[in-house]
Amino acid sequence: MPPVVLVEHLTKYYGARRAVSDVSFDMRPGEVMGLLGPNGSGKSTILRILTGYLQPSSGRAQICGFDVVSQSLQARQCVGYVPEDVPLYAQMRVHEFLTFMGRLRGLEGAGCARAIDEVIERLSFGRYRHQLIGKLSRGYRQRVAIAQALLGRPKLLVLDEPTNGLDPRQIIEVRELIRALANDMAILVTSHILVEIERVAQRVAILLDGRLLGVRALSDSKMGLEALFLSLTEGEPQ
Amino acid sequence: MRAFSALVDKELRTLFQAPIAWIVIGVFLGLTGYSFTLTLFNNRYATLVHIFFQVAGLLLLIVPIITMRLLAEERRAGTLELLLTAPVKESHVVLAKYLAGMAVVLIMIGLTATYAVVLGLYGTPEWGPIYSGYLGLALLASTLVSLGLAVSAFTSNQVIAAIVTIGISFFLWMVDTLAAMLPDGLERIFISLSLLARFTPFATGAMYTSDAGFFISTTLLALFIAMRALARR
Repeated sequence: MPPVVLVEHLTKYYGARRAVSDVSFDMRPGEVMGLLGPNGSGKSTILRILTGYLQPSSGRAQICGFDVVSQSLQARQCVGYVPEDVPLYAQMRVHEFLTFMGRLRGLEGAGCARAIDEVIERLSFGRYRHQLIGKLSRGYRQRVAIAQALLGRPKLLVLDEPTNGLDPRQIIEVRELIRALANDMAILVTSHILVEIERVAQRVAILLDGRLLGVRALSDSKMGLEALFLSLTEGEPQ
Repeated sequence: MRAFSALVDKELRTLFQAPIAWIVIGVFLGLTGYSFTLTLFNNRYATLVHIFFQVAGLLLLIVPIITMRLLAEERRAGTLELLLTAPVKESHVVLAKYLAGMAVVLIMIGLTATYAVVLGLYGTPEWGPIYSGYLGLALLASTLVSLGLAVSAFTSNQVIAAIVTIGISFFLWMVDTLAAMLPDGLERIFISLSLLARFTPFATGAMYTSDAGFFISTTLLALFIAMRALARR
């Protein structure tokens, strides 16, 4: 099966600073992969390149066979993305926002309404569909953000630090949701918290200072993720 | 086109749901109405020339207030990331915002047509200069809206976007005043860049394709800069 994500020698500079350095990995359909690394290790930059928000300085990335630079629109059509800090239009109502995002993804009329009903039901926030987004709690804002990413049935769901700022119950719900969604799509999730990746991912890519230290299948690894992280980062400058 | 119409709908809704558009339109009509009434009663001439210049002056101040949030607010709130990672072209995002901004300004300008109706009912105005004046205002608005949009694309701070746009707009409005101090070649360039020099023929009933071409070219240039600013990531 062709990879959903193919990243080859990806490098990104912000001015003179190298944020991502020669990173390569791939993802198969239905796989949940975790990008693990401390803050500033380049996780969000990689996601932003994959989702078309940033352009790489060198190297290439493909989503579903589409180059993220030269075939950006087609690549973006295959991706649902939830950025860190969940930016949403606070002045819009939930259904209005989802309709807008659905239309951006090419959904229209009854098809769009059906897709919205589907994601609202899946994420269980039907009673908030007419609520102003600005009045929602962090947890429900997160659900709305995930809902918009699921519209149009993307082949890849990209979640940047999806459990940030959530309470324990909401964290558990997000983990369960990721596991459930993995039946339908590949999921790339970032976190700087070991346990978050360990609970949901089948494979993990460990990043430090923009460099990829290694990619491991969690099921194959005899050591836990904590030991794996320590072994890969041993001798690295703090 | 579906995505584009969704973008336009969203921009129009955002602009008209916020009180700022209505306040701006209200203040604008109050000021121009006061000036129209006063001038009409004092001079008793069936002309709108003074109104066209007054509206143009107000546009230099008002358009930046309308355009300041168009991209700067998206950047500040982080929603620009959401927008630009959806399968839509940067050019569509910019054009949708331009059309929404133009809609507000054209409604504002269009409402002043009631003054022309009053002149038509109670006097015998020359309609040629009135038509050309409105065309000139629409072209000037187009340049100012696209300029404000371009500035808004470079910052996440609405106030900075507004102040810089006002500064550039006023500079371009009166840049011909510098011309007298400059050598011949430069003098012509500075006069040709002046919004006032380009707008005056329209307001007084003369229409030149070169002036219309200037407003259209500056609009396209500013929209292109805004698109490049979004694409430069």
